[in-house]
Parts: sequence; C-alpha cells; structure tokens
Amino acid sequence: MTGKARIAVVVAILMIGVAACGNDSSSPNDASKPPPKITELLVAGASDLRPAFEEIGARFTKVTGTHVTFSFGSSGQLAQQVTNGAPFDVFASASVDHVDQVLASGHGDPKTKTTYAFGRITIWTSDDTENPPKRVSDLRDARFSTIAIANPGHAPYGVAAGQALKTADVYDAVEDRLVYGENVSDALRLATSGNADVAIVALSLSLATPDGQYTLIPAKDHEPLEQALVVLATASNRKAASQEFVAEISSPAGRRIMSRYGFRLPGDKEPTGTSGISGGGV
Amino acid sequence: VNWSTPFWLSVRVSLTATLIAAVVGIGGAYLLAKGRFWGRGLLEAMASLPIVMPPTVLGYYLLVVLGTNSVIGRTWESIFGSPIVFTVTGAVIAASIAALPFVLRTGRAALESVDPQLEQAARAAGLPERRVAWKVTLPLARRGLLAGVALGFARALGEFGATVMVAGNIPGRTQTMPIAVYDATQAGNDERAARLALVLMGIAVAVLLVVNRFSRAAP
Repeated sequence: MTGKARIAVVVAILMIGVAACGNDSSSPNDASKPPPKITELLVAGASDLRPAFEEIGARFTKVTGTHVTFSFGSSGQLAQQVTNGAPFDVFASASVDHVDQVLASGHGDPKTKTTYAFGRITIWTSDDTENPPKRVSDLRDARFSTIAIANPGHAPYGVAAGQALKTADVYDAVEDRLVYGENVSDALRLATSGNADVAIVALSLSLATPDGQYTLIPAKDHEPLEQALVVLATASNRKAASQEFVAEISSPAGRRIMSRYGFRLPGDKEPTGTSGISGGGV
Repeated sequence: VNWSTPFWLSVRVSLTATLIAAVVGIGGAYLLAKGRFWGRGLLEAMASLPIVMPPTVLGYYLLVVLGTNSVIGRTWESIFGSPIVFTVTGAVIAASIAALPFVLRTGRAALESVDPQLEQAARAAGLPERRVAWKVTLPLARRGLLAGVALGFARALGEFGATVMVAGNIPGRTQTMPIAVYDATQAGNDERAARLALVLMGIAVAVLLVVNRFSRAAP
C-alpha cells in the first residue's frame, strides 16, 4: 500500500466513525415532537438503590414496555449533575436535602416531591472476619484499621455513618482510620475487595452482597435516612411515564422488592432484627 | 448491532474525537513548525495543557464553559434543542481536547524533522508554498503524523476524568468503556469490569504496536 493509500484508509475509517455519530440528534426531552409512547426513561438513583431499583426497573419494563436506564451515584453528585443540565426524568435521592437543592435550582416539579423510602445503615464485614463488630463502638478495636464510609460531603449514607460513629462516641478514635468511597456502593466495594476491614453501608447493599455479614445500626443513632424523589421530565408524555415509574415503587410488587432490600416505605412498620448474613436479599 | 453499548459508544466517541484532533492538531502542528508569529510559544503551551493538567480540571473548565448556564451552552441549546453537557457531544469535546496535544506535539516534531533542503528544492522547482506542504512536507512527515494520531486515538479512547464530569455516567448515552469499567466495579460486577478492562488493554497494546511501527526511522 502506498503512503497516500494508507492515509486514505485512515481517513475513511475516521469518516465512518463520524457517520456513525450522525444519527444521534434525538433529544430525550424534546417537547416539539409528540411521540405517543415513551420507550425509555432515564432515572438518576442514589447508589443504595441499585439492587432494588434494577429489579423494579425490570418489572416496570415487563409491565409497560418502557425501558428504564439508571445512572447511579451519590445523591450530591447526581443533584449537581441535574443542576448542570443532565437530562434525567426522575431523581431518586437518598435524602430530602438534595431534592430541595435540585428544586431550588429550578429543575423538577415541586408537586412531585415524594418520600418513597426510609433507609438503614449496617456495619458490613467479609465472611472471614472473626468476631465481627456487634455494635458501632466495637469499631474502636485496632483490628479494624481501615473503615470505609461514603463521602459525607455529598453522600447521605456517609453523613449517617458519621452520625452513628459520633453517637457511639468513637468518631474521634477512628477518624484517622476512615476512608471515603465516592458513594455508598463504592464504600462497600472498598471492603468487599479487602482494602478496607469494615464498611458502614446501606442495609440494601448488605442484603444484596454475598460473602459477608452485617450488623444493623439502630435507627435512633442517626438522623432518619428519608429518601425523597422528584420528577424532572417536563414534556407531558415523559412526565406521565415518569409518574408511572414512581407509582411502581410503592405498588404492592414494588413494596415487596423494596422491603426485601431492607427499605421501609411510608406506611410500613419498622422492621425487626439486628444482624444477618450478607446477600440475604438476593 | 446495539450501537449504544459501551464498546460502540467508545468507538464512535473516540473516532470522532480523533478526526477533530487530527485536523486541528496537524494544522496546528504545521503552523507551529513553519510559522513565525508572536505568541507561538504560548499557543503551543496552551494546546499542550491537557497532557499535564489533571483531567478533572479540564472537566471543571468544560462544565464552566459549556454548561447550561454558560453563554456557549445556552446558545447551543437554543439552536440544537439539547444541552452539550451530559450528551455524547460533551463526551466528544472532552475526548478531542484530551487527544489534541498528542497529535500536535508528535506532529510538530515530525514536520520539523523533514529535511528543509527537500522543501527548498520543491520551491526552486516553482511549487507554491501550499503545494510544497501537500506534496513534500506532509507526505515526508506522514509516519510521525500517523503516530501522533494513533496516540491521540488511544488518549481519546481512555478519557475518563473529564468525560465523567462533563457527560456523566449514563448507560447507552455517555457511558463509554472506561466509565463502564468504573460503573461495573462500583456495582460489584467484577466479571464485567474484567471483560471491559481486557478489551481496553487489547486496544492499547494494538495502538502502541502501530505507533512503534510508524515511529521507526522515516523511509
């Protein structure tokens, strides 16, 4: 192949790449065209929701034919993305504050702000940890040299973990041993990969993660993890589909899934039990 | 073929970014190698910034400059109906800027290594400057230019920090392969992370083989 021909081939390959990009002009929030049916919803969800929402999303798709795409992260990070113009249809936060933050920035319909669940936190350790911590104060023990929590700067579950450590009066003792995950599932990953000895994470994730054990932290030891959501979609058909998804969360089937992952929904009784085998929700 | 998988999304984003970086980068490299103008050093330094700047800093500035509250962001949205940020366009812009300095710097070195006597000979034969560039300088520098483009492609494909800030982590829309590795790791899906990482590693090795081939002494 001559030099010129080689360059021509490279250019041709690049052109194909550009051509493949050409069919991407459709905007998810385009209100000018009125397609009768939404085929895909985009939901921003706090990381603690991943296992439960993936099940609810799959069920929703089966029932309505609408596919649900999730983007998971810490509530603070997702709120920031919404404020910056991310095209989500629903924002399901792990706190009320971040929903208020989004509403204050002019995104979302205040009438759709709803508390959909209350979360709990647990102390998670891997299967092979002998004498796992039974209460938060046990973390004072020097064998737990690295303790993972979600970044309290933008993750509600990290804030709750910090409050629980302060309630047990061990925060100052363990402060130097804390490592921050980007979000609550990142904090758990630090422990499942063996890089942290223990993680204070959402009950929902403890129930979804095999090869571990957990102790439930009493709800009174931290501010309630009141999880609120808001619908962001503005086009009427997208908004309707979003509200259908929101209704799915508190439908009887949705409730069953949420409670299997340890969430208490408004109207539910406080669950009992204090510890368990990790992965029990799977 | 499902075009919205992380693999194809990455292919589309990085090829588009490479094309943009190649056009701007080779043009800029020519200007820097042959031109003598005020502010040339500053221009090269600015264009090279993405190599030394943390990707998060690039992401921060892109959000400031292209975000929905910025002049550019608003203008774009009023014309095209959707924002730049959190779309594939945002991902392409981030990847293009990240790739640009690799094309530019490698390309400049390649253009400067062309024997000026050959260019002089072409001029003496009566070729205008533009024809000298097309017929002599660029063809002689093609190996170095292609090495730069290949490096730029690799950088565009691997772009993570700025992309995740500007385009987010939206499956099917902006979740490119490096972001999918991160997402799979966070989800505890190690098998998926390993598979995606292996593909990225394979492409990286292939690109380096290409670069080495092109970087060998000019023919």
